[in-house]
Amino acid sequence: MSKTSDIKQIIDDTYKYGFVTDIKSDTVPQGLNADIIRFISAKKNEPDWLLERRLKAFEFWQTMTEPNWAKLNYEKIDYQKLSYYSAPQQKKAPKSLNEVDPKLLSTYNKLGIPLKEQEVLAGVVAVDAVFDSVSVATTYRAKLAEKGVIFCSISEAIREHPDLVKQYLGSVVPYTDNFFACLNSAVFTDGSFVYIPKGIRCPMELSTYFRINAKNTGQFERTLIIVDDDSYVSYLEGCTAPQRDENQLHAAIVEIVVMNNAEVKYSTVQNWYPGDKEGKGGVYNFVTKRAACRGKNSKISWTQVETGSAVTWKYPSCVLQGDNSVGEFYSVALTNNYQQADTGTKMIHIGKNTTSRIISKGISAGFSNQTYRGLVKVAPNADNARNYSQCDSLLIGSTCGSHTVPYIENRNKNARLEHEATTSKISDEQLFYCRSRGISEEDAVSLIVNGFCKEVMQHLPMEFAIEAAKLINISLEGSVG
Amino acid sequence: MSDLLPIIPLFGDDIPWLAGRRAQGRESFCLPTAKTEAWKYTKLHTLQRDDFVYAPSKFLQEFEGECEEEHCSCCGEHHSDCTCGDHCQCSHKPNLYIDLPFDAYQIHFNNGKFMPLYPALSLGVEVMTLMQAVVEGQAKNYIGKYIDLQKHPFAALNSAMLEEGLFINIDNNIKLSKPLVFIYHSNISQPLVSNICNVFVAGKNSSLEIVEYYYHSGNEKDFYFNNIVNEFYLAQQAEIKHYKFQNESFKSAHIALNYVRAREGAFYKSFCLQKGADLARNETKIELMQENAGAQVDSAYIMNGWATIDTTTDIDHLSPKTTSNQLIKGVVGDEARGVFQGKISIAKDAQETEGYQMHKALLLSDTAEIDAKPELEIFADNVKCSHGSASGELDQDQLFYMRSRGIGENEAKQILIDAYLLEVINHIDNEQIKEWMRSHV
Repeated sequence: MSKTSDIKQIIDDTYKYGFVTDIKSDTVPQGLNADIIRFISAKKNEPDWLLERRLKAFEFWQTMTEPNWAKLNYEKIDYQKLSYYSAPQQKKAPKSLNEVDPKLLSTYNKLGIPLKEQEVLAGVVAVDAVFDSVSVATTYRAKLAEKGVIFCSISEAIREHPDLVKQYLGSVVPYTDNFFACLNSAVFTDGSFVYIPKGIRCPMELSTYFRINAKNTGQFERTLIIVDDDSYVSYLEGCTAPQRDENQLHAAIVEIVVMNNAEVKYSTVQNWYPGDKEGKGGVYNFVTKRAACRGKNSKISWTQVETGSAVTWKYPSCVLQGDNSVGEFYSVALTNNYQQADTGTKMIHIGKNTTSRIISKGISAGFSNQTYRGLVKVAPNADNARNYSQCDSLLIGSTCGSHTVPYIENRNKNARLEHEATTSKISDEQLFYCRSRGISEEDAVSLIVNGFCKEVMQHLPMEFAIEAAKLINISLEGSVG
Repeated sequence: MSDLLPIIPLFGDDIPWLAGRRAQGRESFCLPTAKTEAWKYTKLHTLQRDDFVYAPSKFLQEFEGECEEEHCSCCGEHHSDCTCGDHCQCSHKPNLYIDLPFDAYQIHFNNGKFMPLYPALSLGVEVMTLMQAVVEGQAKNYIGKYIDLQKHPFAALNSAMLEEGLFINIDNNIKLSKPLVFIYHSNISQPLVSNICNVFVAGKNSSLEIVEYYYHSGNEKDFYFNNIVNEFYLAQQAEIKHYKFQNESFKSAHIALNYVRAREGAFYKSFCLQKGADLARNETKIELMQENAGAQVDSAYIMNGWATIDTTTDIDHLSPKTTSNQLIKGVVGDEARGVFQGKISIAKDAQETEGYQMHKALLLSDTAEIDAKPELEIFADNVKCSHGSASGELDQDQLFYMRSRGIGENEAKQILIDAYLLEVINHIDNEQIKEWMRSHV
């Protein structure tokens, strides 16, 4: 437990990732049309098939309307006012970290991801850092390559491993999936690519760090993870953005393909700029994340800690196609001030003996509104499917809202589905107990909240868990008293 | 032969407020599609036809023309004013009285039309037709005044065709000793649409038990459509217990909205057993307006064939210290689909509120389907709210236990299903009604 003075200090610098890096960027003019897409594609030297796919997606996107079913209230996004490509200017593609612009590296240092330090720390985490639209550095590639693991930016993967990309890109989230996924399919700029070959347990945790820097840009990254038979990977994702008065758009896609007996653990700490106390600014976060368990006994586990973004629209899903596959979703979402989050998961049981587990903890404070929205669907052939869902909400103060909207669709009689949800506040007894033992109110609240989230936090990798716990303390700032 | 909303002359079209409400209903009505969130799981293809029949009402003639009706031979009054009630021996009247295993005042609707046989009620309880209440002025403050027609398309349809139905008023401090039973009988083989709206106004500290019984005689493949709206207005400390048994023909459509508005300390308790119809929806919308108002909404459904059976609840806690409790249990077999949508909303200032909701369903076949959407919407922090939903099949261990003791498989299943639904049926306070419901499971 931190001392009160430390917390006060943390509180004072509300959003410590709010700085802007002064770096020259190549940014395309605002607006979205087929030419912009051709420009992005040409800039990245993409093959024709990809450009074709992009244009097809764009064409389809124009026929779609923005979804409005979520319990979210935000200013309409003018898609023509955004710039769809921004890249830090570099003369040549960096061959090693030494060639990367030192300003960029220092940005990541400020964010707490010292790319260089990795080499010293030896084999803890391999990082792919995405700055605005392009991937700037990927560490530990040689070491990973020894094992046959491919970890690089998706642009590079398109060049170096076109067969893999062509086969799997869009196979989990087709461009027709939803409005934001379709937009992403048309304009995505970069992202990470991971391929774990058969029988490999990835020797280190892989990590992507996303950063939106430039003004009025949207970030559209695309992550594709393919884990072949009997393999394992743990993947971490972190995000921050500078403090700006305008809203920034982030519409990403994460696709994961899991084969026989393979396992993926995907952890996210999402800390995009949430806007100021009056609800001005902040990132609009519209993300489509989906994993397909294609093989037998495959397993996918999503763990997310959501503290940032003005608006969050995110439903990491598991498509459990293979028999005996397992899907897990652990989530902590914390909203404060005027933040809004509509988040949850989808568990689609298709294979036999598939099991899924959903643990969602929502904490609302200030004037925020939060919704858990989840779907558990059991197809007619998914014999013996099991699902357990638990959604708990904690309300801090009487001006926030917390909502739970689960959808449960069962078409198999052998399936056993359970859903439970509770809503409560921090009880006066709990607070009094802490206070009577000399713990300040602010500390007591964060103690209780961290206890409330523990079930989820314990699924995070260690370094992430510490960061997430700190984040929750910061985000709770001002919600007490 | 026409669509669901034909233009036909109705009684009282010259009364501006009534005409206005009908027009509003007409404007608001449109058949929900799969994209309508509140009707996401309940498909309305059985209603997509254009050969609906509307039976002309007698009200226009009754009120405007001269009464041609004969006099009752028992009491000498016009038939519509007959006061003999259930005891009417009059040979001119069809004998509608049905044997129920409990003592009750009976009110009859035949193929969607009220049969003017009034039960002999005690003082302080008034039953009149809705159109009479319109003429006399009581109805204006109630009918459809608080129902959001945009959100309830079938209430809009009901509003647009508003004519049939009863207005029941219970004075302050009156406690009705026997339940009031509404018996809706259908035996028509034409696609008849009946829009019925009943309004119940319960005075302060009054108490009333209502039973709705929908049944059908004749060909079980008859299609007809009953579109029911019941409005309950509970004054301070009033109590209404509402039991419903829906056993329509297998091909019919039955859509009902029960709207409840409860004042301080009032309590609404309901139990609904749904067993019939090809498309059935029982929706309960409750507004707990003042402190200490409460509601208990229980429901059971048991379904085979290709039917869709929908139980929807929407409880608004608008004031502090309000409580609600829901238990819904269902059993579906064959290719039937059970739908449950439950919503508990807690307004910003409704502190110290409690809301509980539980839905459980059993699937008996590989082709049956259960769709559930339990929903919480909470804007106050000092509340206790929870919901749960579970679905699965009969416990194989329990079946095995019974089989090993010489009980046949079908019988064992029947016992288990009975026991499963008994949990919710046991919530009925009235022992006789409980037995009656149980005998129909």
